[in-house]
Amino acid sequence: MAPSPIIRLSKVSKSFKDVQAIKDLSFTVSKGEIVGLLGPNGAGKTTVVRLINGVIAADAGTVEIFGQSPLAESNSIRSRTGVLTESAGLYGHMTAKENLAFFARIYGVQDYPSRIDMLLQEFGLAEYKDRKAETFSTGMRKRLGIAKALIHRPDVLFLDEPTTGLDPEASRDLLGYIKELNARDGVTIVLATHLLRQVQELCHRFLFLHRGQLIESGTLRQLEDKYLKSFQVKVESDLKVEGPSYRGFPLQQVEPGVLIFTVETKSQVPELLRQILSEASVYSAEILGRDLETLYFNVRGNFRG
Amino acid sequence: MDRRAMWAIAIKDIKAIRSSVQVWLPMILVPIVMCALIPGGMIYGVRRFGIEGMGNMGNMDSLAKLIDSLPPGSLRDTITSFDSPEKQVLYFVLNHLFVSFFLIIPLMLSSVITANSFAVEKERGTLETLLFSPVEIRTLFAGKVLSAFIPGMAVTFLCGLVYGIVVNVLAYPLFEELIFPTLNWAVLLLWTIPAVILFAIFINVIISAKVKGFQEAYQLSGLLVLPVLALVLGQALGALVLDTQWLLWGGAMVLALAMGMLGFISRHFDRNRLFESQVS
Ligand SMILES: Nc1ncnc2c1ncn2[C@@H]1O[C@H](COP(=O)(O)OP(=O)(O)O)[C@@H](O)[C@H]1O
Ligand SMILES: [Mg+2]
Repeated sequence: MAPSPIIRLSKVSKSFKDVQAIKDLSFTVSKGEIVGLLGPNGAGKTTVVRLINGVIAADAGTVEIFGQSPLAESNSIRSRTGVLTESAGLYGHMTAKENLAFFARIYGVQDYPSRIDMLLQEFGLAEYKDRKAETFSTGMRKRLGIAKALIHRPDVLFLDEPTTGLDPEASRDLLGYIKELNARDGVTIVLATHLLRQVQELCHRFLFLHRGQLIESGTLRQLEDKYLKSFQVKVESDLKVEGPSYRGFPLQQVEPGVLIFTVETKSQVPELLRQILSEASVYSAEILGRDLETLYFNVRGNFRG
Repeated sequence: MDRRAMWAIAIKDIKAIRSSVQVWLPMILVPIVMCALIPGGMIYGVRRFGIEGMGNMGNMDSLAKLIDSLPPGSLRDTITSFDSPEKQVLYFVLNHLFVSFFLIIPLMLSSVITANSFAVEKERGTLETLLFSPVEIRTLFAGKVLSAFIPGMAVTFLCGLVYGIVVNVLAYPLFEELIFPTLNWAVLLLWTIPAVILFAIFINVIISAKVKGFQEAYQLSGLLVLPVLALVLGQALGALVLDTQWLLWGGAMVLALAMGMLGFISRHFDRNRLFESQVS
């Protein structure tokens, strides 16, 4: 059963003066999904988040969230969405707790003292609750920003560049929180970022944006099937080979004991390994170029060509 | 209107004044200087040195001449009823010239508070966050207006209190009666100044919501002081007497203008306009 879409954009365009930020953009997001909105800086990711939340209006096309236009029904919609903006949007002179209390009042949250304690706990900020937000590291600010965005228990959470400026460890922690939020509470998540590597594991589905246009979308698996016409398998082995191929598989020797084979389908990998194992040892084997970044460049290469 | 959200914004912004030195410093300094030091120094000087002694310092001499040329009316009658030039000059300065000074203080303070609170929200990206929230634009504006109106009125009353004490204590030995407050002051503090504060706040809301940088906002709102300076000048030259009637009518006019601006604000600024003009 396909879940019904919670967000639907159809043929949406938006220009700022002479810049066309979004062009004929259509996509949907279903309930419970984590969707990665990916693309380089200036691709239009932030604009998409703003359009869906109705803080800016599209020039053409329709935007729907929860089955309504965000412009017409904006306040009832806004109380069901949470947004982490790129700047995190916190009051620096206020403590973590004061920031959350302020937004709780803005969003009309009733039981907010307990809600705040819970969120501070969950995002690892409990011991810093009385520190001013301006003294926080970028990672702490982003965490507080997400806690703020969750204060009113939204159904959909928008995260704009949540890991930009974070060190790898802080990124991993943050993405862990996001994953849990989705798995445990079923929060639908739209995550805009230009850092593909970090969200490859997290997102269920990806939308590739390029100059305001959707150039590809799908799960990692779908994108692999579509874009990886051949696979490179890196094998660490004591196999002795001469020449540019081994039993029909093209081959490159990058350094002694490390071989890179090219296979056409994934199903050829076991066959290749069996052959090698019949005459030598294999210490490790991995498929190269499966990461999102490689896929992205393939997608973009295709789009241009 | 969501009152809880409105007060949350107002209280947050009032608290934020503490962390902005360009706002709280004038809030403290201006009342001390304008409402205590200057009038106190003046009374002290006149009592100590007399009008002649002050002549080359504060141009008190020409003030005495000015009083002679005042238009007929209750101010002139009151002043001429005093038996010494010292009393006449002091009464003229303290209960006439200072009236327009009192207009400048809340005008400037509420302008700075409003411009600053918008500027800080813009700079920190918190305005963007607020616009993403369900808070209505009029609730947001109402919170901002309160956050400038309350401190503006508080400083005004504080100024009035300090001024009243300084003037009465220091001038009593000379006048042997309390010369503050007069009906004029009551009308000024309770009617004209609140109207002027609202007017200044609304103008600043419009300016802040239109321009991007706060330098521009400060500069534009600085122009507001010009008409009041004209009043000060008019008063100082004796061409204008801000009597009770004048203050009542002036307050009503300013209030009407302010309401007009409020109408403009509520018609003109919606979420999308505000977002597109304020968030980059
Ligand atoms: N408020 C705005 N005014 C003018 N141009 C804008 C505005 N917002 C976005 N743009 C332009 O639209 C394009 C997309 O921007 P944005 O959505 O911020 O991209 P991303 O978030 O993917 O980096 C960029 O070329 C940007 O300069
Ligand atoms: Mg962006």
